[in-house]
Order: sequence, then C-alpha cells, then structure tokens
Amino acid sequence: MIPAESLQRRQRAEALAASLPPLLVAAERIAATVVQGVHGRRRVGPGDTFWQFRRYQPGDSRQRIDWRQSGKTDPLFVREMEWAAAQSVWLWRDGSPSMRYRSGPNLPEKGERADLLTLALIALLMRGGERVALLGSGVLPATGRAALNRMALLLTRAGTGGVLPVDSLPPAEHLPRHAHLVLIGDFLSPLPALEASLRQFAERGVSGHLLQVLDPAEQTLPFLGRIRFAGLEAEGETLLSRVETVRLDYQERLRRHCEGLAAIARTFGWSFAATSTDRSPQSALLALYLRLSAGSRR
Amino acid sequence: MGSLASLTFTAPWLLLALAVLPVLWWLLRLLPPAPRRLDFPAIRLLFDLKPREETPDRTPPWLILLRILLAGLVILALAHPLLNAIGRSGGSGPLLLVIDDSWAAAPHWPLRLAAIEQRLAEAERSGRPVALLGTAPRGGSPFAVAGPMSAGEARRLVRVMAPQPWPTDRAAALQAIDAQPWPAGATAIWIADGVAAGPPDLAGRLALRLQQLGSLTVVREAPQRLALLQLPPTSDQTGATLRLRRADGAGALSVAVRALGEDGRLVTRQTVTFADGATEASHTLDLPVELRNRVQRLAIEGEESAGAVVLLDERWRQRPVGLVSGAGENEAQPLLSDTYYLSRALAPFGEIRRGNPLTLLQRPLAVMVLADVGALSAEESQRLGTWIDGGGVLIRFAGDRLAQNADNLLPVRLRAGDRTLGGAMSWTKPARLAPFPDKSPLAGLAVPPDVLVQRQVLAEPEPDLAGKTWARLTDGTPLVTAQQRGKGWLVLVHTTANADWSNLALSGLFVDMLRRMTAMSQGVVGEQPGAQLPPLQVMDGFGRLESPPPTALPADATVFADGDVGPRHPPGYYGRDNARRALNLSARVTAVAPLGGLPAGIAEHGYEAAGEIDLKPWLLTAALGLLLVDIVIALALRGLLSRRRVGVATAALVGLMVLLGAAGSAFAQSQSPKPQAGDDFALAATAQTRLAYVQTGVPAVDDLSHAGLVGLTLILQQRTAVEAGSPMAVDIEQDELAFFPLLYWPVTPGQKLPSPAALQKLNLYLRNGGTILFDTQDQNAAGAIALGQGGPGTSRLRQLVHGLDIPPLVPVPQDHVLTRSFYLLQQFPGRWAGGQLWVERNAGRINDGVSSVLIGGNDWAGAWAVDDMGQPLYPTVPGGERQREMAYRFGINLVMYALTGNYKSDQVHVPAILERLGQ
Repeated sequence: MIPAESLQRRQRAEALAASLPPLLVAAERIAATVVQGVHGRRRVGPGDTFWQFRRYQPGDSRQRIDWRQSGKTDPLFVREMEWAAAQSVWLWRDGSPSMRYRSGPNLPEKGERADLLTLALIALLMRGGERVALLGSGVLPATGRAALNRMALLLTRAGTGGVLPVDSLPPAEHLPRHAHLVLIGDFLSPLPALEASLRQFAERGVSGHLLQVLDPAEQTLPFLGRIRFAGLEAEGETLLSRVETVRLDYQERLRRHCEGLAAIARTFGWSFAATSTDRSPQSALLALYLRLSAGSRR
Repeated sequence: MGSLASLTFTAPWLLLALAVLPVLWWLLRLLPPAPRRLDFPAIRLLFDLKPREETPDRTPPWLILLRILLAGLVILALAHPLLNAIGRSGGSGPLLLVIDDSWAAAPHWPLRLAAIEQRLAEAERSGRPVALLGTAPRGGSPFAVAGPMSAGEARRLVRVMAPQPWPTDRAAALQAIDAQPWPAGATAIWIADGVAAGPPDLAGRLALRLQQLGSLTVVREAPQRLALLQLPPTSDQTGATLRLRRADGAGALSVAVRALGEDGRLVTRQTVTFADGATEASHTLDLPVELRNRVQRLAIEGEESAGAVVLLDERWRQRPVGLVSGAGENEAQPLLSDTYYLSRALAPFGEIRRGNPLTLLQRPLAVMVLADVGALSAEESQRLGTWIDGGGVLIRFAGDRLAQNADNLLPVRLRAGDRTLGGAMSWTKPARLAPFPDKSPLAGLAVPPDVLVQRQVLAEPEPDLAGKTWARLTDGTPLVTAQQRGKGWLVLVHTTANADWSNLALSGLFVDMLRRMTAMSQGVVGEQPGAQLPPLQVMDGFGRLESPPPTALPADATVFADGDVGPRHPPGYYGRDNARRALNLSARVTAVAPLGGLPAGIAEHGYEAAGEIDLKPWLLTAALGLLLVDIVIALALRGLLSRRRVGVATAALVGLMVLLGAAGSAFAQSQSPKPQAGDDFALAATAQTRLAYVQTGVPAVDDLSHAGLVGLTLILQQRTAVEAGSPMAVDIEQDELAFFPLLYWPVTPGQKLPSPAALQKLNLYLRNGGTILFDTQDQNAAGAIALGQGGPGTSRLRQLVHGLDIPPLVPVPQDHVLTRSFYLLQQFPGRWAGGQLWVERNAGRINDGVSSVLIGGNDWAGAWAVDDMGQPLYPTVPGGERQREMAYRFGINLVMYALTGNYKSDQVHVPAILERLGQ
C-alpha cells in the first residue's frame, strides 16, 4: 500500500535485528561471568531449594507427601521449599544525546556502555528469576528469554528515537513499594533537578541504585589550546582560550558534582557507583549486581 | 623604471603595498585563528569557568610568517617582475623599431627576433603604437615605415620578416624616416646588424636622426660576434685558397668551412683560423682535383648567412676541355688515337667534350686541344681567335698533318716539314727534355729522364722565340711554345699527343703539363657578352637556395662584373641548368667592418641577455600553493581534519600543487615545442614484424582482435619461422599503415566510418602491397557482397569500404596460394565454419600475387583468441578442437601468404609442370 514506508520500516527492523544479537550476546557473556548470588526469601514458598519438612495436614495435596522422609517415622511429612519469589526490578538508562559521546575512536560511547550494562543486568537478573521492566516503557515486569529479546529491541530502538524516553532524567512513574530501581546514566544534570527527580522514587520507598557512566575525557578534560565547547543537548557554547588553565578547576567541579550525587543517594539510602567507558564493563556489572542482591537480601 | 640588478618591475608602485605587511603582522598576531569546535557533554561544568591566567591565545608565529609571505608574494606578483628584462624605454609616443634585416643579421636572427619580441611585448603592455622599418631594400616594395600600428599587428609583420641576402641601405632608410612626421616622445630602437654599409658616416647620421625623434637604443652584438664573410676562393695552379673576412680582429678565431657537393654531400671540412689581430684569413684548400671539382658550395659552419656562403659554378669547378682530333676516331686501335692519351690525362680535372671546333665553341669552353689538326678554315680561325682573346686556351699538338699543312693560328711560324731525331737515316739520337725555363708556367715540374722525343716540328727562328718557349729539348729546340693573345693563350706542343713521335704522352709529365696549361685558362670563356641570364636559384638571407622570387631579374655580364647584388639580382645561380653562373654576395661586399661613428648618448644593448622571464605566473602559483597550505593548516587548527583525513588532504594538496607547478611551467614555457609522438609508434611497429588489427572503437571487439592475434602470434612462433612481436592496434585515422604486412579488420556494426583522409591512406596501403583481412564475424554472410544481402557486419562492411579501392572478388579458388602457403587447406574455418572466403580475382601480377583484400565472416579472431594463460577463450562452432586447429592453420597460411607472396604458387603449378615434362 505504502511500499516506500513499509520497506523503510522493514529495513530498519532488519538493521535492528542485525545489531541485536551482538549486544545481547555481549550482555549475556558479561552476565555469565558474574557469579550468581543466593537470594532466597527465607520463607516457605515455591522454589527449588529445600526449606523444611512439616507434618502433613488435611488439605495438603497427597502428592506433596515426601514418602522417603515419612517412611522413617510414623507421621507423614511434607517437603517445603524455600520461597524464591521473583523480585521486580525496574531499570532505566539515560538515552539522552549527551550519552552519545566518546572522546576517542577506541572508546565506546557512553550510551553504548549504558545499554550494554543495562542489558547485561537484565540478562543476569532474569537468569536469577527476577522480573525486570524498563522504566518508562510502560511494559509490566516480565522474565524469560522473550522478554529479554523484547527489551533488547526496546533499548536499541530507544537510541533511534523509539518508545523509551530520551530525557536525561528518569521519567516519573508509579512504582510499587519496595521495588528496585537501577538508574544508569551520566547524571550531569544540575544536582537540584536530579534530586527532585530521584526524590519521587525515594519517597515511595523504592530502593535505587545509581551507576554513573562517564567518558575519561569528562573526568580529566585532557584538551589543550583554544577550544569552543558546545553542549550536546543545546545547553549553549563556551569559548575557552586555553583549556589547560581551567583543567584543575573543572576536575574540582566534577568531583563536587559526584560527591553531591553520592550524598543524594546516601540521603535516600540508595547506592551510588561510578564507572568510565575505558574500564571493563564486567567490574561495574558485578558491583551493581552485588549491591542489588545485597539490597534484596536486606 | 625600477630595476634591481636584472630584476625589473612593470608596476613598481605596487611595491609600496609591502609597507602594509607589518600592519598585517600586527593584525594577524591580534586575531587568533578560529578555535577548534568540540562537542562536550559536561559543558555545564565548564560554564563560567574562569581561567587562572588570562593570556590570550595568539596565532603561532610560523603561521603569521606563512601568511605574511603569502601576502608578500601576491604584492610582488602584482608588481609584475621581469627577470633579465631589457631596459625599459621611456617615452609615451610611438615606438620605432629600425631593424637591420640584411645578410649580416642572419647569423643570430632568432636572438634578434627575441629582442624585437621583447620590445613588442613591452610596447603592448604600455599600449604604445609601433612603427617598423627594415633597412634592407626589398624587392617589389618601396622603402617605407610600416605603421604606426598596434603591437600585435607589428608582431605579425615581424614574424614574416626574414634577413635579406644583401646589405642594408641605410641612406634610403633615413629618407623613409624623414618622409614621415613623428610626434614628440617617440622612441627609436635600432636592432642593428652591427656591420657598416655604405659611406662611413651613414650609420652615424641615421643614429643621430633616430636620436632626434626622442631617444635611441641600439641593440647590436659585440664585434667579435658579428657576421663573417667568405670571399670566393682564389684558384691557381696549385689549388684553391679559401678567403674569410671578419669585422673585428681581437682574438684568434677558428671556424670550419664546409665544402659541399651538388647533392649537399660534404666533400671536405677545413678549419680556417683568423690570427689574433687579423681580420682576414685564408686557407689553402688541400683537395685532390677530382674532389675539388665536385665542390658546389662553400659555407662557414655554424654561420647561417648569405655572406658565409660562396656558390661555385663551372668557372671554378670544371674546365670544359674540347678535344679535336685531326684524324677520325679510331675505335679499333685506341692506343694509336690522337686523343686517347689526352682524354686520359685531362679527365681528372676537366670535362671533356669532343667534336669539331665550331660545334665545341657553341658552348662555353675553357680549353681546346687540337691534336694534329692541319689547316683550319677561315671561319674556324676567326672564331677560335675571338675565343682565345676572350680568355680561352688553345693547345695544339703537332703531327703529320700539321707538319705538312700548317695554318697561322700558331704561336710561332713553323718550318715546313718536321725533324726526325734518331731515325735510321740520322746520326742524332732521340732528344731528351731540358729543365723548364724559370719564366715558363711549367717551371718546377720534374723532368723524367726517359722522355724521348723522336720527331718534332720546328719553329722558324725569330727574335722573341725564346720568350715564347715554355719547354725545350736538351739541344735547345723549342718543344712547347706559347703566345698570349688577349686574355687567352695559344700553345703549341711541337710533338704529337700520342706515342708516334715521342713517348711524352706516356709519361706523368704529360698530365702535369696539361694540368698547368688548363689552369691557365680563365675558366669558362665563350659567353655572348650581352646575354641575359635568368635567375635559376637564389639564396635567402640565411644562405639557403630557393626558387627565385618574381622580383629577381635576369642578370647580364655587367651585373657579375660590378657585383650588383640586391633585390633585383639576389645572390644565387643564374643562367641555364647546364651552364649556370654563380652570383655571390661577396661580389658586392668584400669586407666587413663594425658599425662605427654613432653619436654619444645612445643606450646600447647586446643580444646576449637572452629572454626575459616573466615572474608573475610563478609568483602567483607559489602564492596559490601557500594559500592551499594555509587552508589545510587552518582546517587542522580548527580540528576539522581528523587524523585519517589529514593524510588524504595532504595527498590531495601535494597533487594539486604538482598540478599547479606543471600548469605554471606550461604557462611559462608555452612556446616550447612538443615532442613527436608518432616516432614511438613507428619504432615499435618496425623493430619487429607485427600483426596488427584495426581499432574499431568498440572495446569488446578490439579486445577480441587483440586476443586473437596474440593467439595467432603464439602459434606462429611455435610452428613457423615467423617470430612476430606482440600485436599492435592501429588507428586508421592517425597511425601510419605502411609498417604492417597484414591488417586484421573486424567489421561490426557500430564502428565509425573512416574519414576521407583515412580512406585515401587505406587505398595507398592496398595499392602498395598491403593486405587487409575483413572479418564480418557474421558467418555465411560474406557472399553477400555479391548477393546484396547479409548479416549486420556485411552491411556495415559495405558502408566501410565505400570509397575503398576494392578489386573484383571471387571465392578462393581451389588452387589458390592461400590453400597451400604452409598447410594444405581447402576450408578456412574460424569460430564459425562454412563461410566463404573471398579474394581478389586477378592477383597474379601486382603485389607479388597477394590479394590486397580478403573478406570473410568466420570470426577468425574468435577462434584464435587466447587468454593470458594461453587457453582458448571461445568455443568453436559447430565445434571441436579440430576446427580450432584448422582456424590456426588458416591463420598461419594467411600470414605466410602475406609475407611470402607467390613463393608457394610454383607448387600450385607443379602438376601442370610435371604433366608438361612427362610429355
């Protein structure tokens, strides 16, 4: 009917599909390297891990009787497993233009790294049986291979202006109490705006984890000479006649910003970590995962 | 007029702009280059960040230097500098160029033209009108100043100017200048030949007049470089002496004189040396007489002017000698003939003519020998007398007839009868020769002791007999007597010219005596005094012979006597082909003297400072190159060039600059001649025998032809003695066809029709033994020429050959040479089989029986074609390697046929010959 449009769409879909597997594979490879921690609910419930034997009570299904244990003594016993209830984890990664930055040809863009970490974390969480949702996608938490694929698709499409929001701040969304929220981004927005945005989640009792992804150039400002800097999100421009003279000031400012960010996280009882694109994604992922599991164990 | 040594600026006031450069320096220092632009996500942290030390970023010094240099170059270029510029002449009025276009200007004519060209270019730049005046008289046109006109017009006139083979006429030039009004501010430039001509003060007067016009610049050579003059060689008994003149005696100078024969062949080359201080040089031409006679032209090597060339004619070259025998020619006993020894002795240095005196005198003659001729008729005596008076030498030999019947055309009176020495009835012995008297022209010749005179005629004693005697016997009786009459001589040898009376004729002395006597002649004598000799060939100013212009008039004897060389009588050959006379410039100009007596206050230049170089294009090119470098640097400073693109940009920049340099040099040397491109083709085509195909312009077809001929060449090398080189493509429009014995011409639709010129070339090629194989490549359609129908190739063929000289064609007969020139074949398959091959019907007589045209449609190239590995490219249809083999065999037969002609046609006739022999 509209051949040009449909063709275009299909081509884009194919391009996405082509780019998907590597991302997914990379994410799964990273996820596989992280040792899966134990996080049972320490209660009786559906699960795989043995929890306790208890006396058979009328109403229990006969099929649940553990005959081996019952054979040892007179009463009948029923095997109960630990309840390994899946937790819902919401993830958000910064899809704003400022994430599409890299300072050297050998470095990944911040956005790529954030996508990778997000997807790896999703894969990891799903392997642990958790239910995962992308914040702002409007999709309920889900688990399983299909959900992983769907989210990978969402993430990639978000980069090209898809369903996921591209703000530099997480969208305000109603999350259930005690839900987990993982936020990955550069968090370079002004601290008050950040705090206001995060407070909405914290007030609802959501436990959050911040992972700041920065480019090495953003950390050190390694430039020399006369440079006109321009923002990626239309923040404006500034001309520095000799960049090297302001380098220390800049680093100080950045340090204070990060400290401010960490303070906010502390206030809310959230965790905060920072990584840069020249470091391996595994370490960041591991740290994040450990904090997540610690949080769930709490 | 700004002048820096040899550097001159046309617009020097523009150099003031150089003062702006410091300002530019300051400005450039203040204005830093545009900053790099960098996207940075953490820009919020950079806002309002105050640098600790506020030192503004400045343009790097090297960049300022580059830009200053760029600006300086542009300013310099706009000032239009000229290297080696001739001094600019001031004034704003017309520029009068007085050009000495005489013979003396010829040796360095290109230099003069260059000097004139520079003046014209200068006048063109300043927009001044130009007037031209050549000082050498011109045939047909009166003396007048040309112009004033624009410089471009003058340039056209100068380009057709050529030195004249005669001296200048500065008096007439002076009149021509006076005849025209001259506005104030005129400038005169005298491109002088540096040689005085006419009255001594004439040059001074002309210079003064020119100076009065405004200002005068004289351009002339140093005296040492002035033109040389060659006078006609003097000729005496021992040989010829070359005579050269020069204008200035400073320093020794050696020049080579080339003696050239009739056909321009070098006979000898002699070095003539001017001693230091001498303006004249002479050199004896040490040359055997036989060679000397061949010399037609003496020219000073490296000196191209009419004055350096001397033309020689019969008077110098050969002495026509008439032989008259009293007895009839005795063919049976040549050794007894009167003239046998004479002709043998005279042949080396004289042109011998025979006949009776009257017929001989009808043509110019130097020497006449009467061998034992008795009484002459009155008319003969009278004509001979006149001839001798005019300079002829009559040599008479005695003999029986003269002894009996003497006439009065003799130097001495003879006694009747003769004297016999040493006979049977005599006591005396045969007499020997006495040494020659000192006054005799024969003096100095060695007298061989074995020359004996047995009989002689005797002279009556008379008072002046001793004075007339050139040679005598030991007893004192005269053997050779002579008498001068007018300009000529009358010589009597008192014995015979054969061995009857004496063995003198057998001795070497006889030859020497005759040579001396012949040398006494004045050259050719016997022309009618008032005869008008039409110009035959005349010299131009460079001393080259050319056909006479219509303004050249016939010359009579007075012209030659007075040396009236000029537009009416240019130097050269006059007369008829068999009796021509040379008129040399040296008949009029006998000495060269440097131009003298010029008034004071004249600017003088030489021609040596050759070629002003316009530096403007070079400077602009350099500035443009710097600009490009600056652009790249600016881009790099702004960070617009990534590392990868820097390489690309640099390469592009270097390429562009090389291109610019080439363009600049092309601009500067736009007049350098282009090398000939055709030589390479000719060399490649002729160094080896090569098969060739006609380029159709259709790439696929051309590739196929090439591959096909490569395959055929390979097979030829493997199987036959034909070791052909790699095949060549021939463009029938441009390339020479004559190098190729065989042309393969694939005819396909879509190729261009040959131009008329190419058709003419093809016709010439076919007529002179070339062979073309037309391959229509459309199987079975070849017969369509006769049938009027066929495939696409055939119809194209019909258009292609329209206008070609195609003879009547027949299908190859069974006994055609083509069927057995190497292999025995009856069919000629190519990629297709079965098509008919057509050849010339009557190829028997011309071109060694090779048909000039072969037409077929079997796509032979397709069958022959191989790839780089030597594997066949196309399958044969209907197929099989046998068909391909047959195709190769046809190719070999064809090449053999084209190369060897009807060599094998004998075999064609073997059955008939055997049959005939059997009967």
